[in-house]
Amino acid sequence: MPVSLNYIFKRVLLSILVVIGVIVFSYILLLYTPGDPAVKWAGNPRGPEARKAIEIARRELGLDQPIHVQIAQFIYHVFTGNLGLSIAYKVPVSQVITSGFTATLELLIFTYLLAVPLGLWLGIYSALRRGSRFDSFIQSLSVVLASTPTFWLGAIIALISYSTTGFLPYGRVSYKLATSTGFNPITGFYLLDALIQGNYAVFLDALLRIIPPALAISVYPIGVVARVSRTLVAEALLEDYVRSAVAWGVRRNTIIKHFVLKSIIPPVIQISGLAFVYSIVDAMVVESLVFGREGLGSILLDSLHKADFRVTIALAIYLTIFYISVNTIVDIIQASIDPRVKI
Amino acid sequence: MPPSLPFIRLVHRNLRKYRFKIGLSITIAILVLSLVSQYIAPYPREGLGYVPVGEESRRLLPPSPQYLFGTDTLGRDLFSRVIMASRSAIIQAFSVVFLSLIIGLIVGVLAAYFKGLVELVLNYLTELFMAIPSIVIALFFRLTLEAGFHVVIISLVTTWWAWYARITYVYAKGVVELDYVVLAKLSGLSPAKIIMRHVVGVIIQPILVQAISDLGSALLEASGINFMGLGLPPGYPDWGVILYEGISEMGIIAFTRAPWLVFYPGLFILLTTLGFTLLADPLREDLDPRLRRRWKLWF
Amino acid sequence: MVLAVRASGISIGYIDEEEEYIVWAVRRVDLAIEEGDAFCLVGESGSGKTTFANAIAGILPPHVVTRGKLYIFDRLAIDESTWNFNGLRGRVVSYIPQNPGTSLSPFLTIEEHFYHVLRDTLRYDREKSRRAAIEALLKVGLDRGVLEDYPHELSGGMQQRVLIAIALASNAKIIVADEPTSAIDANLRASVLQLLGKLNREYRVTLLIVTHDLASTSIVCNRLAVMLAGKIVETGRTISVLRNPQHPYTKMLLDCIPLLGVKKPLKPLPGEPIQVVEDKAICPFRERCPRAIDKCVEEPPLKPVGDEESHYVKCWILTGGESE
Repeated sequence: MPVSLNYIFKRVLLSILVVIGVIVFSYILLLYTPGDPAVKWAGNPRGPEARKAIEIARRELGLDQPIHVQIAQFIYHVFTGNLGLSIAYKVPVSQVITSGFTATLELLIFTYLLAVPLGLWLGIYSALRRGSRFDSFIQSLSVVLASTPTFWLGAIIALISYSTTGFLPYGRVSYKLATSTGFNPITGFYLLDALIQGNYAVFLDALLRIIPPALAISVYPIGVVARVSRTLVAEALLEDYVRSAVAWGVRRNTIIKHFVLKSIIPPVIQISGLAFVYSIVDAMVVESLVFGREGLGSILLDSLHKADFRVTIALAIYLTIFYISVNTIVDIIQASIDPRVKI
Repeated sequence: MPPSLPFIRLVHRNLRKYRFKIGLSITIAILVLSLVSQYIAPYPREGLGYVPVGEESRRLLPPSPQYLFGTDTLGRDLFSRVIMASRSAIIQAFSVVFLSLIIGLIVGVLAAYFKGLVELVLNYLTELFMAIPSIVIALFFRLTLEAGFHVVIISLVTTWWAWYARITYVYAKGVVELDYVVLAKLSGLSPAKIIMRHVVGVIIQPILVQAISDLGSALLEASGINFMGLGLPPGYPDWGVILYEGISEMGIIAFTRAPWLVFYPGLFILLTTLGFTLLADPLREDLDPRLRRRWKLWF
Repeated sequence: MVLAVRASGISIGYIDEEEEYIVWAVRRVDLAIEEGDAFCLVGESGSGKTTFANAIAGILPPHVVTRGKLYIFDRLAIDESTWNFNGLRGRVVSYIPQNPGTSLSPFLTIEEHFYHVLRDTLRYDREKSRRAAIEALLKVGLDRGVLEDYPHELSGGMQQRVLIAIALASNAKIIVADEPTSAIDANLRASVLQLLGKLNREYRVTLLIVTHDLASTSIVCNRLAVMLAGKIVETGRTISVLRNPQHPYTKMLLDCIPLLGVKKPLKPLPGEPIQVVEDKAICPFRERCPRAIDKCVEEPPLKPVGDEESHYVKCWILTGGESE
């Protein structure tokens, strides 16, 4: 079912409006919160160079120009990825943000590739065996897991891993191993890079280090997807079209596969998308503080501690853009697989 | 009839349910704890974050009759800190949900009731704020304001109200089209009365139930922000802060050398959240006829 | 004569949510439908007619209890509380659902509907099922163009025809139609009914039509039964029942519908349908009956009417108020 361009256009237009709103909002925060915006933008510099750095920041922001020009300029800089040099890392802000995104995305994508199918399976399975011991177990488990703080669970997992195997999952890959085998991160997705280079030692090491945080983060999407798909299957089983299919002699397996599952996939995709954007924050918290992985979380903490205002604000803006993009993409996917959505 | 009356009936109807009883007990226990903890804590000053005299000899002691949950990296009694943190948890969870609910209700109902430009603008604002991760707001506040409750609460409310606005809008949209609301308008009843009595009064129940179950999510998210060190100042009795201190002082080794530092605050977050969830779940099932219907694989 | 459906002493009840009581929708019904009949089950909402039809189609919901026996072409489908519809659904009995808008999966094309039904009942492959589908669609007056459509792209009348075509395609000997005309526009009703009548006459499909609309279905059906509060109160050949209604309820039903060419005052039915929680042996129409007598606190037997062939009625007045 082809999605008409009109729908995509409308959806994307709305998203761009929202993104611009967020950029304006953050610029206004920069201007009107206590303190000189140029000083903040320059990263609260001290010493003899301070005056010069603040002057540069003032010019970069164009603070002497009227406010609408400043905002337009700022929006332009955001979309061209040109927010200057990071104070803390001494490399372009865009580079810092990109490396953070690839690291966190690797963790999140890994998590979701496992979590969504598992949650779907659990939800369907317990719906089809409603009231069974398996069903009530999954129900109670999902309630408990949904109440568990992810970072705490991550710590418990690390603790268990350390006390049983002596392995402490820390960082994205063993630095020593990576240098000794000549591992070269090209895409920034270490698992992918290691596979492409045939570096199985690094792949295994990276895998062992990604699994514990992924486990902790996966709890939320597994719970949400299982819960939602159970309810959806239950509702689908009550649909008139399932009843009529039964009466026409369609077998149980066909009904489940073609009449029930087809109807729950679009809403499951949508709920997974919502869970995904929620998990980004989860991942940032868990990866940085608990598992010591580089990523958006560690960049956030670093930029805060080093008063690297540009990176902080760039992180906030690009995180929001990412949020909205995921939501938009999910909406478009969902609309394109539901034949009822006349677009 | 005030809108809260059917809600009390709803709660009453569910009182005999097992899950509801557990949820209610946990919630009441935490509420009571948050009120009395400063009087029953063995070391209330340490609970508030003051470092005791002679702390070197008291650092990282494992749980014992004297220090029930052990001591932390600065030699403070963890038990006192953890139970006194229940107050911060209650304050954050309730104020975030309450404020978001009020703002969301107003925006959602207005958008549904007054169509046209009002609807368009309010929906755009809702969409805008739904799209911002609360951690981003916390980041902005952390850059510009002193640490404290206001950082956590404002940054969560900034994004949360939009969710309530959205569900209120969806429910209210279904109601304002109904004949009796149209008739009420035609009969010349003032908009304020129609909105309060015939719109809010009708849709409030599922939204209140949603709010109860969100108390848990608010606590989880607030703890996350505090755990990142973005919210409350170090030393403050708060479960997120206690966890953060354990980790920022020692790194991940904290878990292996002093597991109690991590275990107890996390456990209290888990229990409190669980309490809210168990409280809300039976109510939700009660209200949602789709969840009540019997179904099974019958063919 | 082969019996397509034989119910003996069948009761069907719904268990309430708290599993505290059972509402009996069908109570100790005996009924026989011969092969080739077009049988019409008439009654008000809540009379149990749809429940009874669902039992024959094999789609009773899970919170239902049954008693008695139900045979379909001599195969025991319901034996007291156990059901076995394997091999019957689709192959022997097929079904035309009540609501065309919700009875087709919105996620499957019409062709896929046919394919899943025909593969699971007759083991057809894609190609063969497509040919069978085109043939069935032709019978209901639709062309093959609809095969590629999703249900929501069709009009209500077309959806109803598609449902009929699917029910036909697997060559079932009995077709149960639950209120086939209630959800479609008045101008389409006649054509759907004519279509059903044609199927009955030309393809010798046994029809069971459930309806509350006595007037229009009488065109199609050669036999009918009137159901009230889970019981059949009058049954016989359509002409005989319509011309010479015996039961006070049947008479009132006929009084409240307009018949073409007959000038008469229309009278609304008095009273409300009852919900049977306790299956007591009393006449279900007693409280609403204008001619109720003392005897009516007992359940009347189903007695033949005069010399009219197979016309039975369940009323004390007509048996002279005497039990056997």
